[in-house]
Order: sequence, then C-alpha cells, then structure tokens
Amino acid sequence: MADYLWSTQSPLQKALVPGRQGVRSGEAGIALTEMTGVAVVQIMARRGRWAQTAKAARAHFGVGAPDRPMAAFGKAATLVWSGPDQFLAVAAVDGSAGPIAAMSDAFAGNASLSDQSGGRCRIRITGARARDALAKISSLDLHDTVFPVGAAAATSIDHTGVNLWRSADVAGNAVYNVLVFASFADSLWHTLVDAAAEYGVDVDRMALPRG
Amino acid sequence: MRIACPFCGERELGEFTYLGDAAPKRPSAFADDGSEQPDAQDAFHDYVYLRDNIAGEMTESWYHGGGCRSWLTITRSTTTHEIKAVKAAPGAGARVAAGLAS
Ligand SMILES: [Zn+2]
Repeated sequence: MADYLWSTQSPLQKALVPGRQGVRSGEAGIALTEMTGVAVVQIMARRGRWAQTAKAARAHFGVGAPDRPMAAFGKAATLVWSGPDQFLAVAAVDGSAGPIAAMSDAFAGNASLSDQSGGRCRIRITGARARDALAKISSLDLHDTVFPVGAAAATSIDHTGVNLWRSADVAGNAVYNVLVFASFADSLWHTLVDAAAEYGVDVDRMALPRG
Repeated sequence: MRIACPFCGERELGEFTYLGDAAPKRPSAFADDGSEQPDAQDAFHDYVYLRDNIAGEMTESWYHGGGCRSWLTITRSTTTHEIKAVKAAPGAGARVAAGLAS
C-alpha cells in the first residue's frame, strides 16, 4: 500500500499576497490576516443532551457553551455558536495527536465531535475601516450596539456560508473573525480584498498564538 | 423579504431556501394490526404529488442553509408575503424544538 504524506497547506497559498494592497497612500484602513495553525472541532449535542454538553464544555474549556449566536473566549479555545445545540471549538494547533484526543473523554456520551481543522480557513479583519468593508458584503448589522465583542453569527457573505464573530478590540479597532470552508476561502478572500481595497489593505499571514 | 430565524434573528431571504407546503403528513401504508391499508396507494400519491395552490395564508417549510442550517416552519401569506410566524421545525437542535422557538 502506498504511503501518504498528509501535509497541511493554506487554501490561500496563491490568493494571499503579503504586503500592501489596494490604495497605497496613507495609513492602511484594513488589516487582513490569514490565521494559520488553527484547530477546529465541531461539537454537537446529542438528542436531549444539551445540558450535559454545556456542563462538559464549562468543565473542559472553563467557559459556558454558547447557546445563542455568541462567542465565548476560554483560556485554550474560543467557542463559537454554529447552530442550535452545537458550536465550534477553535484553538491553536497543539501537538500532532489532533484536537479531538484531548476532549473526547469530556464529551463522551453527550455530544458528537468532528475535527474540521483542515476543512476551514480563518481570516481576521481589523483596522479603522474594517466595518465599512464588511458592510459592503455582509447583510448583518455590525454596529457596535448590535454586534459587540463576543457577538457571533452563522451567515453568508457573497453566497458563501461563514461563521463570523467579533473578538476583543485591538488598538481601539474592532476585530472580526471569519471561518470559511477551505474550498471557498480563495473566492471569499478575493471578495474581502476587493471590498477593502479603497481603504488600503495590509495583508499578512500569522500563526494563531497558543493559549 | 426578511425572515426572523428563531435561532439567528432576522436575516435576508438569500440565506434561506424554500421547500414548500408544510402541511402534508406522510401516510401510513399499514394499519395498526399490520394489514395493508386499502387506500395506501392513493394516499401516497396525494402525499407525494398533489399540492393545494393556496391564495392566502399557508404553512411552509424553509431551510436556513446560509446560516444555522435549521429547518423552519413558517406561516406566510402567498398574496402579500406577510409572515405571521416562524418556528423551528421538529427535530431542530438537541432540545425539544417547541421549547426553543418562542
Ligand atoms: Zn438560522
């Protein structure tokens, strides 16, 4: 039998060009970053077992499981609501065993886990004009009063299903995170760069910090 | 048109797909004693193929595929597009759907 080498590579290998994009004068209004080394586990409560799943999540991650469109920031993972009685645990890749090994005992019998790490791409959008760029391509109201830090949504951008959530502000600017299926990442990336171009874009790639 | 998903909140129509009338119920081919229902063929033909063409309020099945991927049961007027109610369809999520859809 043939041996396979499963090496991970970015779905934005070609699309992402680091450096300044769009308008080149003045300070960039947007920073667009692909976050690499991201482990994603889908956690779905089994029929009638949401309460047990939520309890297990609190014990394992140290934060309550989101039961409505919210993101909860734990020490080792961010829990992002993805639908009724289900959420995604998003964390930095840690070791080679895969992310499920460490949590399968915690959820045994109460929730079904599936590793989505290689199947999703995480993109971070921030900067003074981040919301203006997203407003062109998302139908959600992203105003601070409606979509504050910790808000999340399962929605579509440019006909592409995404998980969108807002994490803690950086340098006084909102930080939006998008998780998109890897095979749609290239297309969505171009849409994001186009929407951001008029504000000037700093494009980068960065490993998700651990812990 | 915007639809208020009981899980996600109000969203644009483009995130949803329409299945159709939510009223038809799957008939049973067999009676309680295990014998075949004499009118089973007609009942299944009706269930699979025949639909009422309602001008006015009807209950419909919609899918929030561009969002939380839940099936919804919506009461909508086919003449005005006014939506009277949106509920989670039975089986959405791990909890009893009726308790969530308030
Ligand atoms: Zn929804």
